Amino acid sequence: MAAILRAENLEKTYRVGKVDVQALRGVSLAVNEGDFVAVMGPSGCGKSTMLHLFGGLLTPTSGKIIIDGEDLTAVSDAKRTDIRRRKIGFVFQRFNLFPTLTAEGNLRLAERIHANGADDPDRRRAILRMLRLEDKLHHKPLELSGGEQQRLALARAVVNRPAIVLADEPTGNLDTENSTIVLKMFQELNDRFNQTIIMITHNPDAAAACRRTIQMRDGHIVES
Amino acid sequence: MDSLVTSNILQRPLRSIISVVGVALGVALVMLFTGLARGMSDDLQRRSANLRAEIIFTRPGSIQLTSSSTNLSTKYVDRLRQIEGVESATPVIRYLYPSGGVGVDQVEGVEWADFARMNSLQLVQGHGPQQPDEVVIDETKARRNHPVGSSLKIFGDRLYRVVGIYAPESGARAKLTLQSLQETLEATGKCTYILIKVRNPADQIAVAQRIDRELPGNKVQFTRDVFASIETSIPNLGIFLRVLVGLAAIISALVVMLAMYTTITERTREIGILKAMGASRRYIISEIEREALVISLLGLVLGFAMAMGAGFVIHKATNLIFEFGWRWALAAAAIGLLGGAIGAFYPAVKAANLDPVNALAYE
Repeated sequence: MAAILRAENLEKTYRVGKVDVQALRGVSLAVNEGDFVAVMGPSGCGKSTMLHLFGGLLTPTSGKIIIDGEDLTAVSDAKRTDIRRRKIGFVFQRFNLFPTLTAEGNLRLAERIHANGADDPDRRRAILRMLRLEDKLHHKPLELSGGEQQRLALARAVVNRPAIVLADEPTGNLDTENSTIVLKMFQELNDRFNQTIIMITHNPDAAAACRRTIQMRDGHIVES
Repeated sequence: MDSLVTSNILQRPLRSIISVVGVALGVALVMLFTGLARGMSDDLQRRSANLRAEIIFTRPGSIQLTSSSTNLSTKYVDRLRQIEGVESATPVIRYLYPSGGVGVDQVEGVEWADFARMNSLQLVQGHGPQQPDEVVIDETKARRNHPVGSSLKIFGDRLYRVVGIYAPESGARAKLTLQSLQETLEATGKCTYILIKVRNPADQIAVAQRIDRELPGNKVQFTRDVFASIETSIPNLGIFLRVLVGLAAIISALVVMLAMYTTITERTREIGILKAMGASRRYIISEIEREALVISLLGLVLGFAMAMGAGFVIHKATNLIFEFGWRWALAAAAIGLLGGAIGAFYPAVKAANLDPVNALAYE
């Protein structure tokens, strides 16, 4: 099976004041199309840095990231943004929805950014149906429960058919019941649409829902 | 609510309203000042165009925009009538006084029969002034609740009786007898200037030269030059208006810049989200510029409305005349929109350059 994401010897060093902090110390990883990968590890081990690098929000100090055949590390900032727009969908722990827009408005914004104003109401409705948000189309995020907000964030992440969904502790702000619902949605997306997902989590139950688990420690992958 | 621009504007109504009002004030300021200058200039030109006399004979410096002096002897009238090419000459006192409201008002003392004949004025109602307390007014002034038989205050509290209404409008809107104004000003035998009608208008230059030769030390001017446009007769008025326009543009730009800068700071996290979603720098800049343009457009509309409203109220409450011209309206529109666009540009670029990870972590 073809790797949709390949990271080779990734290193990332931050400058904090006068001190260099090495967040990633040579990470290599291949993720196949349709994988549902959990990334686990203690705080500060480099999980989020790795996710941000995969999403093109950061650039590595050294190493290479190939996403769906495009080298994220060999391009300009503008091109990296373009790759992110076309290939990546983010889901965050804090949902990060636009509070002034309705559920539909949040999705349409993602569509506009993705395709310069393209509007696909059928696709939008299909996703909202699958995520059981059909009747929440005209609600603003603050009118939704935490679980509904995270499902909406997930809908926004996948509305443009990204190659990979990068989720940063998506159940971290949810209670057990809503966590279960959201994880089911991730699984359904993975099963039905063969959606590749990389998910950071501290929750063993969430990791158990994934097909594969990666353990990180001190900037290394220690178990894959 | 599906538009980020609209929802952002509505999210902070007070901030949006203050920004809109800021732009509106700049636009209204330009419209009001230029409208006032244009209104007064056109009004003066319109009235002076109705003077049929070609030449004005006066003392140097006796007529200024906001003052006049009565220092010319009326004895010159007979001497002027003797000069070859002069058809008629009639003395006029022009007196300017505070209107009681905003600005300056003026009254003329004339020998009515001669003055009316020379300048083709017709009485549309009543008769010419004969007694010291009688005044004739033009139709514009009459429309402001001054019919024949009513009283009119001139020089503060002194009451004059309106005895006639004349047309067309010419010079000051109120005219007393020459003698009445001379007595009031304690200037018996004096006037401000003498209007001269020449027999053949084509000869006016030659006649003016002849007058200058025969009565040296005085000032001989052509009517068309004396009551020129205010914009050209007040030194540097054009520059003043342009500086005003520039200041209005700066105010608009600063207001929008401040508003958008605050917005960017408030929405740092949202900009991070946009970046995570793949929004390009151009997209982020255009979103912020669009928001600024909507604010500017609303400010523009409000500014026009404020200017029109204020112009109407000021015109009703005072004698000041406003005329809104397309040229300045376009300038005001450009100020509002460009000021907004330029003001928003720096915050927009700043937002576009935010580090996405830091922006996402912003509390």
